[in-house]
Amino acid sequence: MNEAEKEYISPVGEGLYSANTGDWRTQKPEIDQETCSRCGTCLIYCPTSSVRRADGRFIINLSFCKGCGVCAAECPNGCIAMTREAKR
Amino acid sequence: MNALDLLAEREDMISPGISACVGCNVELTLRIVMKVLGPNTVLAIPPGCMGGVGVVGWNKRSGAKVPVFFPLLDNTASMLAGIRLAYDAKGKDANIVAFAGDGATVDAGFQALSGVAERGDRIIYICYDNEGYMNTGYQRSSSTSKGSWTSTTPVSKDGHGGKRQNGKDFPMIMAMHDIPYVATASPAYVPDLIRKVEEAMKVRDGLAYIHVYNPCLTGWGIRAEESISVARLAVKTRYFPLYEARRREFRITVPVPKPLPIENFTSRIKKFSHLGPEAIADLGKLAEDRYAFLQSLCRGKDNNA
Repeated sequence: MNEAEKEYISPVGEGLYSANTGDWRTQKPEIDQETCSRCGTCLIYCPTSSVRRADGRFIINLSFCKGCGVCAAECPNGCIAMTREAKR
Repeated sequence: MNALDLLAEREDMISPGISACVGCNVELTLRIVMKVLGPNTVLAIPPGCMGGVGVVGWNKRSGAKVPVFFPLLDNTASMLAGIRLAYDAKGKDANIVAFAGDGATVDAGFQALSGVAERGDRIIYICYDNEGYMNTGYQRSSSTSKGSWTSTTPVSKDGHGGKRQNGKDFPMIMAMHDIPYVATASPAYVPDLIRKVEEAMKVRDGLAYIHVYNPCLTGWGIRAEESISVARLAVKTRYFPLYEARRREFRITVPVPKPLPIENFTSRIKKFSHLGPEAIADLGKLAEDRYAFLQSLCRGKDNNA
């Protein structure tokens, strides 16, 4: 048990459980940076926290993105397109 | 700090890969709530969707970066009351938080929750209400809306059936416990949700209860990308009003002066697809009645739109 874990009454466990949800994706989102107004709606509503902000721009990390399409549906400028994933 | 900065800058306290359904807005709610609560949190997730998707973890691994427990369906609140006492005895402070579904709150966990409310144990209890036992196969709960198809209230080929009773108005039941803080929230109104969790963290003298209305995509029959828009329509049709109450001091936080017709909400959901115009109108009337009751509780304030 390390120092941080001793802070808690219960141990945290052996490590972080993580499923490879990026494998589920049948369609993937792409942000058109030209028309993006940098409002951040996609970041706020992404259920998997896959949208990141870097230097004021919003980029999508596809590692765990499930391809739900919420970002594309909620984007007020309609600048996120969902494209079919290639077969794996 | 505005909502976007908070969500962009704070660390995600939940594992990036949890196996919630594609587009699940409960996963979104959990991530937002945990970003607000931060690392000094003890989380209890009873059996339910968020327990099942791996937040409590498998095989000694945990899906959260904070201590997370898996209490029984019916003792979540009392178990947290014990954890609070243990932390008090050790002289430590932390957010002691439950993130429970409606089955573990409105049905099975109600006795323990009501007891905690009455004793004034200082915990934060967040209920994600998806109107049923969704992770075991969409069985009805006492929170399910009247007329809903569920696997235990089936619908015949000619459109008869569905749940016969109205769902409990559960946040109102909790507000009548005279607890320091009760709020309703929606994943479609994120800044409102964040502010309510922050308010709950400030409570020092008893239970803070937040009821989040989460339309279930697989159980209700909603397309994944409509996850947020259906949640937003529940508020805009006055079906699920957003308010907060401090010991019977009620305040509507997102007023809906001009509600949309209830059909805008119900027509997007497959579990209501067998209902005729009369049954839909009944749901609309119930929503209006409950909203009028809520307004009467807010009377005398300037925001009772």
